[in-house]
Amino acid sequence: MLLVYRIPREPSRHRVAVWRKLRDLGALYLQDGVAALPEDAVTREQLEWLQLRVREAGGEATLWEARPGTVAEEAELVEAFRSSREKAYRAIIAEAERVRRKAQMGGGETLLEQLNKLEREFRAERRRDYFRSPLRTEATAALRDSRRAVRAATGTAENRDVGSGK
Amino acid sequence: MLWATRQGCHVDRTACIWLIRRFLDPGATFAFFGDPAEAPEGAELFDVVGARLSHRGEDCSFETFLKEYDLYDPVLREIAEIVHDADLMDEKYARPESEGLDAIVRGMQLSLPDDQTLTGHTDVLYDGLYAYLSREVL
Repeated sequence: MLLVYRIPREPSRHRVAVWRKLRDLGALYLQDGVAALPEDAVTREQLEWLQLRVREAGGEATLWEARPGTVAEEAELVEAFRSSREKAYRAIIAEAERVRRKAQMGGGETLLEQLNKLEREFRAERRRDYFRSPLRTEATAALRDSRRAVRAATGTAENRDVGSGK
Repeated sequence: MLWATRQGCHVDRTACIWLIRRFLDPGATFAFFGDPAEAPEGAELFDVVGARLSHRGEDCSFETFLKEYDLYDPVLREIAEIVHDADLMDEKYARPESEGLDAIVRGMQLSLPDDQTLTGHTDVLYDGLYAYLSREVL
């Protein structure tokens, strides 16, 4: 699906809010004001609300069901979606390994909190990883190892875990 | 009374339907349309762009329902936070329940044939949430 929109430059907060929402959804900008997302019930709905938001901000927006003209272009687009997630996954993997090493060296007070935050980030990333970036598996494994190490390092990890879950 | 919304119900709309049945209109019937132009005549539309009962400002439709019908139940307010986070994914209230609810309803959408069937099952989820949160809030 494509959201084609134009939004007044001022006040900038509307423009920024729309941009931020599209980024959070994992949309790809094909050009300025043209954002693409794979279609499913949830993305369609999110884009419909975004369209409304642009209009309320005095802009113009249309929503298109579109597909690239050739198989090659479609494959390219899918690849672009996958690689757009790589940076975030790499950061999560690096951070998970850092937490794991620290835990293995005897730990630190806030390792569990750091790990929980990392896992939250991972879940957000997974939600917008529409084409299963190959790094997802790697990130899952890194987080699992990290959690194992943190649990081993902090004997009370289990209790604290339950306590922080509300 | 006949209520109508778009096909492909997720958390916000399944929660609204539960709210309507339990608090507003026990005899409600629901229609689901593909295009707003196909909406049945005379039906009260909800969670549809431009309708009275829809997203408004930062609010999802469930939150708009609470405001439009002056429902001040604190448990419903809590459910509204969970629904908001699951629907808008902006972590406004950081409710941990919303991630689980999102996964369950998405999965039910895949495993059940249509919206009538889906919303015949989802009421139980919200009844459960309501009962669970009632213990904590009251």
